[in-house]
Amino acid sequence: MEHEVAVIGERETVIGFSLAGVKYAHIHSDRSETLSKLSEFLSSERMGVIMITYRVREELGEEFEKLVAGKDPIPVVLSIPDRTGYVPPVDELMRMVERTVGAKIVIKEEET
Amino acid sequence: MKTMSGVAPTRMELLRLKKRVALARKGHELLKEKMDALVMEFVEILRKIGRTKRRAFELLSVAHRSLSKCLASMGTVETEQASRETRKELQVDLSTRFVMGVSVPTVEIKSVERDPLGRGYSVHTTSSLLDEASRDFERAFEVLVQLAELEEAARAVGRELEKTKRRVNALEYILIPRLEETIKFIVLRLDEMERENFVRMKRIKLMLERRAEEAGG
Repeated sequence: MEHEVAVIGERETVIGFSLAGVKYAHIHSDRSETLSKLSEFLSSERMGVIMITYRVREELGEEFEKLVAGKDPIPVVLSIPDRTGYVPPVDELMRMVERTVGAKIVIKEEET
Repeated sequence: MKTMSGVAPTRMELLRLKKRVALARKGHELLKEKMDALVMEFVEILRKIGRTKRRAFELLSVAHRSLSKCLASMGTVETEQASRETRKELQVDLSTRFVMGVSVPTVEIKSVERDPLGRGYSVHTTSSLLDEASRDFERAFEVLVQLAELEEAARAVGRELEKTKRRVNALEYILIPRLEETIKFIVLRLDEMERENFVRMKRIKLMLERRAEEAGG
């Protein structure tokens, strides 16, 4: 099934992905505004992938996690670095690995 | 370990419990196998994520560099205007597939890289840097979509893994020991009853013998 793509981030990210043809975009400026936009995207039937920058995600904090935790498998929410390439040091997936696989931390070999 | 309460120490109950333990053991084994398979799947996905993530973020930073060049030469307002004029035709094809009984989404896209003329902004008034920036973002998006699919799969498999682990642990550390403890209790109780009965019989026999002696003597 065909689905739409959305992007939430700062101005540069939004311009870039708009140029690539992403239909729904929101430039983050206000917390509550972005949150309501996000929940609108999340509840939309036609939405397939929502990209959000790490920085905005951090700014939204707990409320973001709550929104995403209660969503269906579709749309997929993907975090991306913003213009400055900001990626948080603690990876959310790695935290999950530690929790599920036990104390073991998976060390991935570097393949070149 | 606690025994189960409200169990009658009878042979019937003992048989029933033994059956339950056997079943629980079988279930435990099966779940453990499922867990091993899930862990393997999980690690495989994580490895793929590591690779894809690096590539996607590299492409994205390249795209941002092209864009800032474009913003600098064309101006922010003009670039933004062009981004508004761009034809918004990007769509993804989403479906779900099953990995080890876990439904994970698969995302497919048709080639997103477009011809500069096909993008929809005016080619006369814009710089070629805009074309480059657009192309780089389209390329980055292609890989980002793969990453989105993988991350979502990892999350789904991870959740299932967590659930399975909890069940394995519940069986291994709570249910099975408790059942075994209860079986032990019943066996002991039955043995005790047998001994009591034995002593009782002995005693009755003794009493009967004594009575017979008295009657005879």
